[in-house]
Amino acid sequence: MIRCVEITLSIPDNEAETAAETLARLGLPGTALVRGDLYRLDVEAAGEGPDLLDALRRIEPLFNPNKHVLRERGTQPEAGEVWIHEIAHGAAPADGPVRIAGRTLPGVRRIERFTVWRLGDAAGAPAADDIVVRATETLLCNPAFQVATTR
Amino acid sequence: MSARVAVMVFPGTNSEEETQRACLAAGLEAELVHWSWALDRARAFDAYVLPGGFAYEDRVRAGAIAAHDRLMQPVREAAAAGKPVLGICNGAQILLEAGLVPALDGATDRPQAAFARNAPLGKYRSTHVYVKLALPPEASALTAGFEAHAVLPAWASHGEGRLAAADAVLERLEREARLAFVYCDANGNVSPAVVPNGSALGAAGLINGPGNVLALMPHAERDAWTYMHGGAAREAARGDAAAMLAPSGGIALFRGLARALGAGR
Repeated sequence: MIRCVEITLSIPDNEAETAAETLARLGLPGTALVRGDLYRLDVEAAGEGPDLLDALRRIEPLFNPNKHVLRERGTQPEAGEVWIHEIAHGAAPADGPVRIAGRTLPGVRRIERFTVWRLGDAAGAPAADDIVVRATETLLCNPAFQVATTR
Repeated sequence: MSARVAVMVFPGTNSEEETQRACLAAGLEAELVHWSWALDRARAFDAYVLPGGFAYEDRVRAGAIAAHDRLMQPVREAAAAGKPVLGICNGAQILLEAGLVPALDGATDRPQAAFARNAPLGKYRSTHVYVKLALPPEASALTAGFEAHAVLPAWASHGEGRLAAADAVLERLEREARLAFVYCDANGNVSPAVVPNGSALGAAGLINGPGNVLALMPHAERDAWTYMHGGAAREAARGDAAAMLAPSGGIALFRGLARALGAGR
């Protein structure tokens, strides 16, 4: 079973703000951006319950209740979203396939980490697909070592 | 004759002063050019050096935001005009993100390669290294004064220094002579054991086709004087102030820049 968990900041996100300003300079003004850390978890029976989210909330380097929101979400990109994933190119990922912030999680067979960028327009609606593609190609993804996935 | 070099400073750049000092020691006029400068004023230089640091906190990716900063416009123009452009560490990452290196099909605004997270542990690493010139010296104005296979000392100090690119790009980097420097030991021997970050091809530095834009990950400016050196020379100089303050091998990079500009000493 695949479960996806997204962690976003509940306080202002300087990185998303800078990215939005840069996109405006690159010809995409008015793009609202939300950035999140997304974990795609391949779980067995022991990882299918709510305990998994509690376990994630207890990993302090990952989640601080004073400034983060953690939620389970759909397993595919939604409208306005791009998911960025690093290509290993033979290099082992920092956390390995079953560790997250140096820890293992009960019932989790494999973890993949993504950065999710959620693009919206001034009215709060998801950005159009062509805007997402342009933002991805001009700034959000370096195809030399990253893969971008949209819906 | 002297030449004016702009040492570019973005928010988060942190190696501008030692880079400026190395340029000055090589006989160049070096000025810190901050991100708030008017572009016309920033255009009035003979060469550009992008120093190390964490420009814009490495937001999005190392070098990604700075690569699109307005202050990169004079750098792009200079690169296109054949003026020397040197990026060190974060500056090297910026040049790759800006598409100015390796620029396999000419300058572009899209990256073809990256200095990505170190391998195998994915962690920041600071260690003394040596790099060897992997090109014929005459392939670049910046290295034209070097001996063939010249070895320079430097300090690797980065979390993202692993050259990463598609296999087809890596093959072209080798075939089209864009690999400027590779990691080596003090005697110039190349092996995986001396590569501090898992970099593909053992690459420490890349260059563009015309040879005027060089991206080098390790900090040569941090081994520009003997007291900064990580090898035996510093130990041998203990107690001898003149020897300790004598130039070290890293200064060669800046003398190469001065030579390219017909300046220096």
